[in-house]
This record gives sequence, structure tokens and C-alpha cells, in this order.
Amino acid sequence: MKKEYKKPLPSPSPWSSPFWEGCRRHELLIQHCRDCGANIFYPKLFCSSCLSPNLEWTKSSGRGKVYTFTTVYAYGPTQFVDDVPYVIAVIKLDEGVQLMSNVVDIEPERVRCDMEVEVVFDDVTEDFTLPKFKPVAI
Amino acid sequence: MSQFRSKVAIIGIGEVPSGKFPDRPCLQSCVEAARQAILDAGIDKNEIDVVMPTGVFYDRRFNTDLIFSKLAEELGLLGKAKANFQVFSGGASSSTMLKTACGLITAGLAKVILCVQCDKVGSAPTQEMIDLFATFGIPGEWETPYGSFMAATGSLVATRYMHETGATPEQLASVVVSMRKWAVLNPNAMLRRELTVQEILSSTMVTTPSTTREGNVLADGGAAFVVTDASIAKEVCKTPVYPLGFGSRVLHYSQSQNPDLVGMGYTEAGEEAFTMAGISASDVDIVELYDGYPIYPLLALEGLGLCKRGEAGAFVQAGNTWPGGKLPMTTNGGMLGQGHTAAGGGVAVLVEGVRQLMGKAGERQVKDAKMAVETAMGGTFMDIHVCILGNIIP
Repeated sequence: MKKEYKKPLPSPSPWSSPFWEGCRRHELLIQHCRDCGANIFYPKLFCSSCLSPNLEWTKSSGRGKVYTFTTVYAYGPTQFVDDVPYVIAVIKLDEGVQLMSNVVDIEPERVRCDMEVEVVFDDVTEDFTLPKFKPVAI
Repeated sequence: MSQFRSKVAIIGIGEVPSGKFPDRPCLQSCVEAARQAILDAGIDKNEIDVVMPTGVFYDRRFNTDLIFSKLAEELGLLGKAKANFQVFSGGASSSTMLKTACGLITAGLAKVILCVQCDKVGSAPTQEMIDLFATFGIPGEWETPYGSFMAATGSLVATRYMHETGATPEQLASVVVSMRKWAVLNPNAMLRRELTVQEILSSTMVTTPSTTREGNVLADGGAAFVVTDASIAKEVCKTPVYPLGFGSRVLHYSQSQNPDLVGMGYTEAGEEAFTMAGISASDVDIVELYDGYPIYPLLALEGLGLCKRGEAGAFVQAGNTWPGGKLPMTTNGGMLGQGHTAAGGGVAVLVEGVRQLMGKAGERQVKDAKMAVETAMGGTFMDIHVCILGNIIP
């Protein structure tokens, strides 16, 4: 029995829902433009490189690197005050797109820029799964 | 050469003290700053044909009042002013208001423009403001679920910068030391006590690598400036200040979507601004750099070509930007010293640049300052605006 999840959850749009449905299946999806070949994240209505509507969903490798990070120790948003310390990071996926997430399964002091990470899925509620990242096992 | 060069000037400034003033309504900060700027400009207030308030975050109702001409009514400009409208890009509103004013004046659509900012984020409960600012430019769907908030945005940039350059925590803390030294000399500043690197680094760790004293403190405040045609300026103002060049870039809405968090467009925006002004970085006497967090003045010093890559921290640590230093920086104390008055953090920095070039900076006056470079950024540092100001036209 999961305890009640009180932190903010995404409010998906019609065009981002496939991403969140993918997360529930433990698949990390990104968009791909059939016209110009751009990889796109976060989900857009039109390709942010060429404005084409001709987009498809592809499965990301789920692997990437920590572009940058910070560990929160104090004065965070109300719903996160009990979580400190937690690591916020910008992850650059191997597909070239970036996203914000948390780095988990490691002591915060050991997180480094350019560290290789892979996606793990945190089923925070019945409806929502958040993609998070852990160090790639060496 | 730019169309506005030598045709537009800032002729008056006003500012109320920054701090916690629970009994001072937004309207009071707004009208007092506006009145000061009008008196400073030496014009008849009825000559103002455009009233341009920027946005208020804390009090939405009052923000709507400003959009709907409240200030024009308070100042007795009904039937005289031709337009009242808001120009708002968060902390970058200083530059976007000034640029809009330059365009209107150069196009002959306005003669005298009053730009005004006020806010009251300082006397609100701190946690409430942390939560409010956690919605400013932080995407609800893509970043909020991971616990990001304003202080984290500055630290995410600082972490990458330290990784790439080897800058030290002591060097970042030195930016706060510099800001506080200037704030001591600024009667409108909120945090008028000097701090040592040791005091800064031993305060509570908030978001690595930044401690509580490396975060800005929210303040109530208000500031205003009057922009006019240069031909009018020479008649009423002893030392008009001329906008000489602008450069800018929009960088992101979502911080996680910015591919170059340590470049932040300073180089591109700076080259544009210096080229337009017809001067080089070495010609400026003072740098009024938007701070918010210590990392940004360091990125600015390097991106604008005032320091080599990775050397800005040591430059600040050596005292070069302090009062009496060879490159006075953010001489009002910035948001780390004067206080962060929401959009006013940037307006205060612009007003300070004008104040210095007018020779009205009192105890902290930089002698013979003729050229300044000013920067502004909004939201989660979503954009960069660089402006070159001078009291001479080179």
C-alpha cells in the first residue's frame, strides 16, 4: 500500500498524454519529426525545428548524461520540504534532447556533471509514473 | 548605426527604499517613484504622453489597475497622456521598457515616456513567496514534479560553470561580498551589512553549491525613469543619459531546454550591443550586471569580454569590482544587496546605471563615469538583454 502522494503531478495535454502513458508502461518516449528528422522533447504540437505536424513517437534508449544538477537541502517548495536532500538534474539523453528529472539511487554527494545515467520509473500514483535517473551500473 | 542613437535620452530617475514595508501599499511605491522621476527630470508632468508601468507579481488586482490606467489617473494625466500600457518581461522589463520607449520616440509616436515599476514581494510570508516564485518560468508539467524552484535554477547554472571552469565556492561567494560592499553605501538597499566569504559559505546550504547568503532576498520596492527626445533632454537636464546600443537573446522558457546554461547568450547579445554603440568592452567605466544569484555576474563578465573564460571569479575575489576597484560592478548592490523587488530587481540596476552616469550616486559615485554596460534577465533567466549607456555620445 503506497502512502498518499502529495507532491505536484503533471497535468497532461492531449498531445503529451502518450508520453505519460508510456511512462506508466515504463517506456520513455520522445517525438521524432518525419519531415526533418529532429528529435523533440518535451512533447510539442508541431516540430520545433520545422513546424511540421508530421510527428511520431519513438522509444528513447533511456540513457544519457547529467548535464548539470543541484542538491536541495533547505527552503524548497512546500510539498518537497520532507524530501531533502534531493537531487534536481538536467539530463541530456543520448538522442540529444534534454529534460529535467531527479537523480536517485546514489548519495547526493557523489553525483557529478557528465555522469552516465539511465532511466528508472517511479510509479508515484496509480495514474502517474515519473521518469527518474540513476547512475549506469559499471 | 541605430536610429535611436543621439535621439533618445533618459532624463530622470526615482526610487523608493527596498525592504520589508508591510504598511506601504504598492500604489504608494509606484506613485512616489514616479513623482521623484518627474521632479528629477525637471519636466512638467503634463508633458508625459505615454505611461508605461511594468508588471506586479504580488498583487494581481493592483497589476490589473496599472494595466487600466490607474497611474495616469493618480498623476492627473487623464485627457493628456495618449497611451497607457504595460511592458513586462519579468526581471528583464528594465530593458524591454527602455527599448520600447526608444522605438516610440524614434518613430515620433511619443515625446515623454514614464516607465514605472513597483512590487511588494518582500513583506509576504517567505514560504508563500518561495512557492509563488516556484511557478515563475518553471513548467508545471516538466519541472515542477521534480521539485525545482527559483533558487535551484541559479544553482543548476553554477554547478555546470564550476565543472567546466574549476571556479571555487570562495569565488562565487566573493560576488556576494562585492554586492554587500556596495549595498552598505546605498541608502535604498535592504542588506546594508558587509559579509565575509567565511560568513557566506558557513550559512545554511540551500541548493548546492549555494548557501542561503548566496540567494537574493525578496523586497518591496519601486523605481521609475523618464525617457524623452534628446532635443528636449538638453533643455531640461544637465546630464542626460543616452542609450547607445542594445543586444539580446531569448534563451528558454523551461530551463531544462537550454543547451548552453553557462553561455546564456551573453557573448552574442554583448557583441550586438557593443557594435551598435560603436565602443568596445574596454571602454566601459562601470558594469551594472543583473545578478539574482552570484553565478550570473561571473558569466556576464566573461561573456561580455571583460574577463577571460573561467577567470571572472578570481577577478571579483581580488576586489576589482568593489568600491574603489578598477571595474565597479552592480553599484547599487544588486538583488544580493539592495534586495529583489521582482521585476524591479532589473529596473533598480538600470536606474543605478543612469544615476551613476548622471553623477547622482552620492557616497558610491564612481568618479568621471561616462559609459556603462547594463544587463537584464527575466524568469528563470529566460533571456539576456545588454544595454550600453553613456552620458556622452561617442
